[in-house]
Amino acid sequence: MRAVVVMAYVAAAAAVVLAAYLVWALRSFIVPAFVGGLLAYICRPLVARLERHRIPRGVAVGLLLLVFGVVALVGLNSVRAAIPSETALLELRVRALYALHHRYQALMGLDSSWSHGNGLYRLTHRDLDPLIDRVTDALALTAEERVQFVAPREAGTDTTAAASGRLVEYERTNAHALEMRARRAGRGEPAIKPSAAGPAATAMAEGGAAGLGEVLSSWAIAPLIFLFLLADTGSLKRGLLAAVPNRLFEPALAVLADVDEALGNYVRGIFLECCALGVTVIVFTTLVGVPLRWAIAIGIFTGASNVIPYMGFAAALLGGLAYALLAEDVHPLIPLVTAESFAIWVVVAVVLAELLKNVLYEPLVLGGAVKLHPLVIVSGVVGGAALFGPAGMFLAIPTITIVRVLITSSARHLKAYGLV
Amino acid sequence: MNLTVSGLKKILLSPRSHTDAADLDAIRARALFEAPDSAGTKPDRSLADFLAHVSLFEDLGRRDLARLARIVHERDYADGEYICEEGRPGVALFIVRRGVVEVVTRAAGDRDVPLALLEPPASFEETALIGPEMPRWFSVRARGPVSLLGLGKSDLEALSVDFPVMANKVLIRLAALMAARLRTLLDAEFLGESDQRTEGAP
Repeated sequence: MRAVVVMAYVAAAAAVVLAAYLVWALRSFIVPAFVGGLLAYICRPLVARLERHRIPRGVAVGLLLLVFGVVALVGLNSVRAAIPSETALLELRVRALYALHHRYQALMGLDSSWSHGNGLYRLTHRDLDPLIDRVTDALALTAEERVQFVAPREAGTDTTAAASGRLVEYERTNAHALEMRARRAGRGEPAIKPSAAGPAATAMAEGGAAGLGEVLSSWAIAPLIFLFLLADTGSLKRGLLAAVPNRLFEPALAVLADVDEALGNYVRGIFLECCALGVTVIVFTTLVGVPLRWAIAIGIFTGASNVIPYMGFAAALLGGLAYALLAEDVHPLIPLVTAESFAIWVVVAVVLAELLKNVLYEPLVLGGAVKLHPLVIVSGVVGGAALFGPAGMFLAIPTITIVRVLITSSARHLKAYGLV
Repeated sequence: MNLTVSGLKKILLSPRSHTDAADLDAIRARALFEAPDSAGTKPDRSLADFLAHVSLFEDLGRRDLARLARIVHERDYADGEYICEEGRPGVALFIVRRGVVEVVTRAAGDRDVPLALLEPPASFEETALIGPEMPRWFSVRARGPVSLLGLGKSDLEALSVDFPVMANKVLIRLAALMAARLRTLLDAEFLGESDQRTEGAP
């Protein structure tokens, strides 16, 4: 009897190790599989509704897949259309660097030599200057890019002459600022970025293409999981319970019901919360002057990031401030906002959206679905990120929720049935 | 196996004494477990066909029965194996598909007292489907190899979300079944007490 118990423990430990190895080996499929499962979970009532209207389940699932396919296609096309061309990207970098320097200079009261500023500058420049330098290095044009950018504009081949003139002026100001910052740093010459062309760039492009191929092949599993889970009418659960000994049938049924309830509450709650936060960010940022197109992009990014705790706020702040940095003309819907205070209003809008999420949406839609201590949440997310990267961050909270329910529910029901 | 109110009255009003507690338990058990108007079933029919003969699912159409057949859990029990135990909570209803199960209650000295035998397509533990996890009143064990169908409370809850009309039909039938059993039980209790009073009278 004792040997049997020992064997059972060894088998359980081996199963846990095997499961951990499989999770590790298949980690690139975790997020696509989770997304497929999540969509299937959300779509189950829709399929049931279609089935109630005498549409066969297979047809209902096919219809949903078609809708998702069309949405994904339209989304991909929109993203592809929004990706700037090479020239537009150069323009964007010039404008971003100009805006960054201009706002930093204004905020810190820096003179034209970039060496003397106000009290705020004296207080913070040791920490902020390296950060600004790194962003500057990332945005500054290389020598080839500069020629490519300035030559056609100065030759007057560009159609929009006024805008071109302004951009060339921005680039000259950027070059001057780079020179000043280099002198201040004691480098003498402004840092010229090495050319991006050549074998390194080719290798990078090839690597990027290979990476994209890998990502796409990993994501091919998402529609499969979606189809499989939606087409399933209970055989998955029955199969699982069929493997359970008779004396464990009812406890297993009860535990599965508890896990299903907890997962359902979490998925529905987090989906609604992400949607509500995304819409709120869209409304608030539009009110303070972000164009609707960009507000929608920031809102979607925020909503999607909100699946990872505390990440929605960071995403909204990052997106909003990035736009505020680049914006030249602001057309707010509320009169208090000016071009100078735009960035502050963007922060206010994001903070208000986050407050609304914490005070209203979370208690309302998530309720008690995720009653976890903040320390557990942070540890889970950090641990998940360290072990599995973005997939770990994404799945940390649902995994902790499931494991917690699995343990508490199993203990409760096994005790109630006199099995422990 | 059918036990109607009039049949029960006949048993109770017969000259045999009903003062024995086990006898009263047996009457209660029959009233609680026996499926009224349950038709005999052939063991080798399809699951949906079989379910059509279970009194709880009599109102369901072919499509709903096929859907139900995909939800229920098929379990096989060996002779003497307990399906559910007295005092433990219940989260599933069981339907006898093949074989015979025995309803027993625990008497002094942990001795099982047999109360009733159930055959296909009788169902038991209906209360598990609707109420909170209440402790069971009786134990049920297999008499020979038995095939059962289990329907979990969570399965019915999922049905009521996805297919509310179908779930309503089952629940209405369940309510009617339980009301009939309650009436039978109350009748049995009342007649049992009357019987005892009559016997105790000088």
